[in-house]
Amino acid sequence: MEINWQLLMPYLVIIVTFILVLIYDMIDSLSKRGLAWLTILGSLVASIVSVNMLTAGLVSTTEFSGMLRIDQYSLFFNLIFFVSLILVSLISLSYLGRQDLRQGQYYLLMLLSTFGMMLMAGANDLVMVFLGLELMSLPLYVLAGYFRTNSYSSEAGMKYLLLGAFSSCFFLYGIALIYGGTGTTDLAKIASGQFSNNMLVIVGMFLLIVGFGFKVGLVPFHQWAPDVYDGSPTSVTAFIAAGPKAAGFSAFFRVFIESFGSLENDWILAITILAALTMTVGNLAAVAQRNIKRMLAYSSIAHAGYVLVALAAGSQNGVSSATFYLLVYCIMNVGAFGAIILTKTDDGDTFEIADYAGLGFQKPVLAIFLSVMMFSLAGFPPTAGFISKFYVFRSAVESGRIWLVVIAAINTAISAYYYLRVVVTLYMKERRVELKVLPYSGYLVVALILATAGVLLLGILPSQILNPVQEAIKNSVMVSVIK
Amino acid sequence: MLLTIIIFLPLLGAFLVAAAKCINLGDSALKGIAFLVSLLTFVISVSLYLNFDLVPENAGMKYYTDIQWIEGLGIKYQIGIDGISLWIVLLTTFLMPICILASWNSVEKSISGFMIALLALETAMIGVFCALDMFLFFVFWESILIPMYFLIGIWGGRRRIYATIKFVLYTMVGSALMLVGIMYLYFQNNNSFDLLQLYGLAGSIAPERQKLLFLAFFIAFAIKVPLFPFHTWLPDAHVEAPTAGSVILAGVLLKMGTYGIVRFCLPLFPAGVVAYTPLVVTLSVIGIVYGALVAMVQPDLKKLVAYSSVSHLGFVILGLFALNHQGLQGAILQMVNHGLSTGALFLIVGMIYERRHTRMIADFGGLSKSMPVFAVFFMIATLSSIGLPGLNGFVGEFMILLGSFVSGKFSRIYVVIATSGVVFAAVYMLWMFQRVMFGKLDNPKNQELKDLSIREIAVLVPIIVFIIWIGVYPKPFLSKIEKSVNNIVILNTKDSSKSVLGLVGTSADLKTMDLNSHE
Repeated sequence: MEINWQLLMPYLVIIVTFILVLIYDMIDSLSKRGLAWLTILGSLVASIVSVNMLTAGLVSTTEFSGMLRIDQYSLFFNLIFFVSLILVSLISLSYLGRQDLRQGQYYLLMLLSTFGMMLMAGANDLVMVFLGLELMSLPLYVLAGYFRTNSYSSEAGMKYLLLGAFSSCFFLYGIALIYGGTGTTDLAKIASGQFSNNMLVIVGMFLLIVGFGFKVGLVPFHQWAPDVYDGSPTSVTAFIAAGPKAAGFSAFFRVFIESFGSLENDWILAITILAALTMTVGNLAAVAQRNIKRMLAYSSIAHAGYVLVALAAGSQNGVSSATFYLLVYCIMNVGAFGAIILTKTDDGDTFEIADYAGLGFQKPVLAIFLSVMMFSLAGFPPTAGFISKFYVFRSAVESGRIWLVVIAAINTAISAYYYLRVVVTLYMKERRVELKVLPYSGYLVVALILATAGVLLLGILPSQILNPVQEAIKNSVMVSVIK
Repeated sequence: MLLTIIIFLPLLGAFLVAAAKCINLGDSALKGIAFLVSLLTFVISVSLYLNFDLVPENAGMKYYTDIQWIEGLGIKYQIGIDGISLWIVLLTTFLMPICILASWNSVEKSISGFMIALLALETAMIGVFCALDMFLFFVFWESILIPMYFLIGIWGGRRRIYATIKFVLYTMVGSALMLVGIMYLYFQNNNSFDLLQLYGLAGSIAPERQKLLFLAFFIAFAIKVPLFPFHTWLPDAHVEAPTAGSVILAGVLLKMGTYGIVRFCLPLFPAGVVAYTPLVVTLSVIGIVYGALVAMVQPDLKKLVAYSSVSHLGFVILGLFALNHQGLQGAILQMVNHGLSTGALFLIVGMIYERRHTRMIADFGGLSKSMPVFAVFFMIATLSSIGLPGLNGFVGEFMILLGSFVSGKFSRIYVVIATSGVVFAAVYMLWMFQRVMFGKLDNPKNQELKDLSIREIAVLVPIIVFIIWIGVYPKPFLSKIEKSVNNIVILNTKDSSKSVLGLVGTSADLKTMDLNSHE
């Protein structure tokens, strides 16, 4: 078997970084900061390699006997993971410093999880999807419970593990049924077959929806999200909210658009209902939250619903819009968590929204960062949140899902209520408790500036990213039903 | 290019103010920068008017610019103005320096933030009236919410948070539907957001679809206008907003709704217009009478003016749906008139509020003795709002009523009821004026009130000049509006005749009734 190592460069870079971090951590005399820098450096190199491959006009190829597909689609998702990893590492630098944790394992686990995400995005076989899924999730369970002495964190880790394992069962069983029905787990082979009357395949497909639904947090499989988001260390929450969700969707889209494209009539209704349900429940539940981490948890559920609208479009534009959306989503979510990470009262860390009262005039720079993220999450122009949402809605209208878009648009208005409430508290309420904001370290400011600049630039001049996304999707995702 | 400069100059000013704040310049320097930038914007925008007939036009649009913005989504930066948007753009640039001057001393919290919000708001407002790409229009339309949200929420009154959130949510629900409509039209329009191109194709949309699309757009605009029963956000927003916010809200933001109707609903969905005219006209007449009656019993000056807006905007909608030259021209002129007279009234209320820190009518009485200069300005603004002949309000309202009377699109009984709104207006405005300005000057706090300062006179004089100018000699205003109105009427009738649904009125009617010849 001939392996083209050149095509595997992004994967190799991450693995090498993993090993370097491992070795670095063993040398006691070195500063722990170096771990983060190594991680950032590794992801930067991997990003540059990926961008090079993208601009060179990579042609879809499969490696490892058709298990892994290297194409522009997977490369693009890799970039999303790298961007999230870089931003989260920058945030972690200033967060972990004061929480005094064993940092080596922390970065190792993040790298390992990222590697799992890359496998998911590049999977060309259901078994590979599962492998990536597990490799991504297992480090996350550990990361969620990283604050061993904090009972909430331990609870978060436990809950995430149990429910994650539970959902993996659904996923595996789905794969088994599909294998039984088709005789293959290869995505391309499934795509070329005709299985519209095969009950095994149809049931297996729905089990896959359940499995993916758990990972990306669709209603009614979302219950783990608020507790895990709330209990995990904030930097880990940022990590969980960003990359893994994008990875889950990358495989979700590939499997459903490509392999089950011919069965569209069987799954489209389910996806449409799930999308409507996810958006609505996520947003309504977020309205009731007082804790910003829980609010962002429900908001991320709602955002998963918007991405699902793009899947319901079932078209090439749907896939490109989802890809773009997920990129923007990752940047603004990590930015939002980064902005709240350093606030605390005398009682310790606080995530009560009410405690932020008056912060707008007390810490104007921090408040502006947080406000931009909130406006972007709510989808106000001229932020990227607006453009990306617009693109998703547009592709759904193109495919004729007008009522779904109406529901989504009304949901956007609902979501404005709770995102704006944060801004209201920042600027318009009188100070309630003395809020201490730790002096923000340069790394955090860099992360926030990057996120804010990204959100604004992608909002005003999105073409630089949007055109390559569309190009990449056109070159790599086959849509069986041409729309 | 000129138009682009006018749109983005205020935004540049906002950045200048932010920069000045960062290098710790004093408050008066910040205010000075903001004022100068807005004044400069106004001066440049006047040249739009002066050169209006000279510049080449593209499908009825002047100062036309069309460049690619986001190619992947078929979005262009496409702007231009016609005789309708010209006046609203000028109104915007005209009111902004006045607003800044009016809030010179009244802003306590973060003056830099206030000025940045105002200037950013100006960019977005001008953008709305110039955008010819539907996506661009929507971007500006939504961008307005952010600065307005801060203006009310930070610098507003006691119930400001409730008011600002209500304002934002109402608008967002409406625009969410409009967004879906815009995207639907995009695919109807050969994958383009180009509004001018869409005008050519509008007739080909199936009538059933037109009705739905009409609703999707109209609800968004009706909330903004606001048309009864979508008006409940307006009194809250007005009462809580700072003076400058109220002036902008009444003067310009409400016009976005009526402007949207002219730009989108009327030309694009003739079948929808025909289907919903009875409903819309009924609602607007209810709004006229209801707004007037509610205004009559308000104890709070600002609330009174706010409800009078509901009534006045009802007239504008009535004129628009008359769909003939007089009605439309009157409605568009009335949009400008309302911006001037209501703007002046809000400024005046703000001036008394700064002195007495109350807006309750019962707290005043006999002010004309202690503030004679103020009384003159107040009187003119009041009369203009009532629609006294010789002042601007009369021209607009008369044309609207005449237009709707001859239009034949709806029963004349509506017009008769609407006319009663003019009488009601006289009742509530004059009664309010009497209670505030005349009578005994018995409250000692009122006896020591200072009359207007030079700055305050400078704020009011320009508005009063235009109030009288439009009232006496409206021709320069109407002549620019006329041609663009023709285009709208032609677009609408062309398509409605196709669906065999009656013409607007005969051309003979139009000639004999043409108001321009009377003046």
